[in-house]
Amino acid sequence: MSRQGFFRSARLALMAGGLATGIFASVPAGAQDADTIKIGAPLALTGGLADEGKKQDIVWKMWVEKVNDAGGLQVGDKKMKVELIEYDYQSEGQRAAQLAEKLITDDKVQFLFAPFGSGHTKIVAGVGERYQVPTIACVASSESVFDQSFSHLFGTLSPNGGMTTAMVKFFKQKFPDTKTIAVLGRDDVFPKSMAEGIAKAAEDGGLKVVYKELYPVGTMDHAAALSSIKAAKPDWIYVTGYTQDLILARKQMQDLGVTAPIVTMVTGPSYKEFTEGLGPLANGVTSSSWWHYATSYKGQGVWPTTADFYSDFKAKTGGDPDYVHGSCAAAGEVIADALKRAGTLDKAKVRDAIAATDIQTFYGPIKFGPNGMNLVRELPIIQVQDEAIKVLAPADIKNADMIAMPK
Amino acid sequence: MAIYLQTIANGLMLGALYACLAVGFSLVWGVLNVINMLHGSFIILGGYLTYFAWHYYGIHPIVMLPVVALLMFALGFVLQRGAINRVVSAPVLTTLTLTFGLDMILYNLMTYWFTATPRRITLDLGAANLGPVVLPVDRLLGTGLALLLTFLLYAVMRGSNIGRAIVAVRMDRTAAELMGIRTDRIYAITFGIGTLMAGAAGVVFALVFPITTNVSGTWLGKAFVVCVVGGLGSVPGALVGGLVLGLVESFAGFWFGPQNAITAGFVLMLVLLLTRPTGLMGVKGYE
Repeated sequence: MSRQGFFRSARLALMAGGLATGIFASVPAGAQDADTIKIGAPLALTGGLADEGKKQDIVWKMWVEKVNDAGGLQVGDKKMKVELIEYDYQSEGQRAAQLAEKLITDDKVQFLFAPFGSGHTKIVAGVGERYQVPTIACVASSESVFDQSFSHLFGTLSPNGGMTTAMVKFFKQKFPDTKTIAVLGRDDVFPKSMAEGIAKAAEDGGLKVVYKELYPVGTMDHAAALSSIKAAKPDWIYVTGYTQDLILARKQMQDLGVTAPIVTMVTGPSYKEFTEGLGPLANGVTSSSWWHYATSYKGQGVWPTTADFYSDFKAKTGGDPDYVHGSCAAAGEVIADALKRAGTLDKAKVRDAIAATDIQTFYGPIKFGPNGMNLVRELPIIQVQDEAIKVLAPADIKNADMIAMPK
Repeated sequence: MAIYLQTIANGLMLGALYACLAVGFSLVWGVLNVINMLHGSFIILGGYLTYFAWHYYGIHPIVMLPVVALLMFALGFVLQRGAINRVVSAPVLTTLTLTFGLDMILYNLMTYWFTATPRRITLDLGAANLGPVVLPVDRLLGTGLALLLTFLLYAVMRGSNIGRAIVAVRMDRTAAELMGIRTDRIYAITFGIGTLMAGAAGVVFALVFPITTNVSGTWLGKAFVVCVVGGLGSVPGALVGGLVLGLVESFAGFWFGPQNAITAGFVLMLVLLLTRPTGLMGVKGYE
């Protein structure tokens, strides 16, 4: 058992008693109205994923408020209010499963919103599947989550694959001298699949992979890996991980003099915490993202355009939304649209209606493939320039030209 | 050749940071027989104090070092006096559960107040070149501070009345009491010093690592390994344990890939537990 695992288990075991109290304390009062649509969300509001969990929390509350202000969701000939029931699963996967079960059996929710990340989404989706409750995942992009033959899991992110091949092609076109790539990935569901995906796409695209290693969760020093990468002199360095890993890796690259014309970090620059934490060191780092507020999509729902969502979000929080905000807000629209088309709350009909989703939203098109994932589309390639995010591709939404990594 | 020198340098710099992280934990465990689960969160708290002083008031982390040390000493002293002393002679599981519970509170309060967003002191101090070896200045500085703090603690333990009293209590509590040592007070001072060292490590770490509550468990785990490798309760033990762990992780990362670097540290710990349960420096006991 890993060290972190040990402490997690210890925490879990010792806090099991405390948990029960927490659950009962957070049950909303007066939630038993038959005319409401209940959506349950096990959320990481504390613990390691708290920042991500809060992003989901903000936009879902914004969405519910907008929907209810407009009278509710259309189901057949009547409008029904939406109630969001959230529990904090404290970033502990097992607890997410327990709370998902409680949401379904105790709170009788009709839908689940899955929490942040491929790993925890898989856990919650398993529970949803068992009870045949449709689960909308807005922050899971690893195909390994969607290949479980779950018939009630739907994801608004497109597969990771859409991020790798296009990126190799784009960079080779911008920097034709790119011959070699070094890949360093975090050994965790999403970052690992991205690291493996890019290595394969790079090889298919004619690049040589000169270094490819994974680092375990809990790594607090990248000096050994970066020293090896430096010796391999790659043209392109590709690092995956979560914000804290990537801030550390970028800083250590600077300290150890490790650089390349192209440095990509996934998903680093998609989050403003990355640029804030790094300051000028973030400049030049490229990445890919599922959505960016600079896009201009139009569609149905409470936010007819990307600009509407952006201005609403800005007014509410003062900050800029990232792809997590966009994708999760769009998850609500999936439910709204399916209920409108189904005209009933009948479980099977609602599920089929979700599966048949084909809509345009402020977040972009949503149409689920046979595995329940949003279909592949051209995803934005972004770069930090002057500590701000610029979109390099696809051509119709680009707002800057790619620059080489500053020395 | 250059890469080997670089790997040694990486390992030594990392190892000094590990030593700094573990020495307070080792002291508290050795003297009080308390496994202080709060240690990781104390380091993070020290880091946050440093970060906020720098971010909002522009105070250089080095200047904050004595301030944070003093504040953390006071926190540790009060905590020991107010809570831990009540159960300090109970079996180790009781104190472990207590510090564990306190850690839950501190950890979650910090996540609540500061969020888990990684923050970083963007004082990028650059790097020095020693022949082919690159030495990041902030790590060098961290290494220097870590060694200085560890040495100071060692000097206090050996040279001062308080230090000798702490050592006496560690050797035999009853005998120490009979000699007129107020053990309650010594316990509180020891815990205070342990907390001080954690806070000081937090200041040093704030220069090198992004600060986030996420990593408190990771730091606590490192402290465990360093103590087992080096030997419990001994200042030189923590230093040796830290340096050895840093070197082992660095070479394992280079030879077997970063995926196996952490594993190698644990393998080392297991081997030592089997062959030398007192740790590398634990034979003579404390001092």
